[in-house]
Amino acid sequence: MTKLDVWLNEAVRHLSRDSASQVRSEIREHYDAELETALSDGADPEQAETRALQALGDPRNANCQYRKVLLSASEAALLRESNFEARAICSKPRLKWAFLAAPGVILLASTAFLVMGNIDLARGLLVLGLLMAIAFIPPFLPIYTPSRGRVFRAIKWSVMIGSVALLFGRNALQWSWLLASCVFPIFWNEWKRVAIRRKLPVGQWPKQLYL
Amino acid sequence: MNFKGTLPTLILEVLAQEPSHGYRIAQRIKERSDGVLDFKEGTLYPALHKLQNESLVESYEGVESGRTRRYYRITQSGRKALNKDRAEWRQLSRAVSIILGEA
Repeated sequence: MTKLDVWLNEAVRHLSRDSASQVRSEIREHYDAELETALSDGADPEQAETRALQALGDPRNANCQYRKVLLSASEAALLRESNFEARAICSKPRLKWAFLAAPGVILLASTAFLVMGNIDLARGLLVLGLLMAIAFIPPFLPIYTPSRGRVFRAIKWSVMIGSVALLFGRNALQWSWLLASCVFPIFWNEWKRVAIRRKLPVGQWPKQLYL
Repeated sequence: MNFKGTLPTLILEVLAQEPSHGYRIAQRIKERSDGVLDFKEGTLYPALHKLQNESLVESYEGVESGRTRRYYRITQSGRKALNKDRAEWRQLSRAVSIILGEA
């Protein structure tokens, strides 16, 4: 393993495979050019290699900078896998319509129970219907601009917070340990999506990144 | 020596003259600042990626001396951002000069 390989391994740590190969190719290109210049300036091969490597700087600092602008391995995995459910549903038309209809049916049932006076059940069904609507319907909505995405996300988080408040009411604090553990994966994914949105140009955003 | 946050502006300035590859951009910055501004190349490319993500520069492949290289060129929005950065820098440097001159 050459000194350049050691430098590159450090610089591409935790980056996705695509990002790492991009970094390797551009740094190698740069290193070769620097090496050529040093040799043409009269340096011996060893000096030229040292000079070219020094010009690259600290690999840990480079890694830190790269991770701010290129996708990490975990972000690339999230991007690859987060659309799995939507693709599974969309590929089966009956399932797709069932998922689209379910929130409506549940919300209707909630209204019916409310009219009959069974408020607790109506409230539970309302929360379930709203959460299902937020989860299943968005892939079919025309949300394909950043501003529409922002509006949708504001609605999504309002519905989610509203649902918790509606379901637990004054006991929300008492159940906060359960809520926090349930909501943590959602927050974690959302945090990663924020990072991905910052790193990818809008033109390369897949649909799920708007949601 | 380098001033934090000035690298993107310097890259845009170099690319406003002509499209370049990473190595030449680094050389131009070094030459035009008489060797005072010496950015490590490990930080140059992340800055280029950031500019590309913000659509201020775009890249394409070109061949130089028989070797395929990635070239970068400034976009229309990149030129607008550069003009804005230039104006802000002039204002800032004038303000700092006044203060240092008085001190």
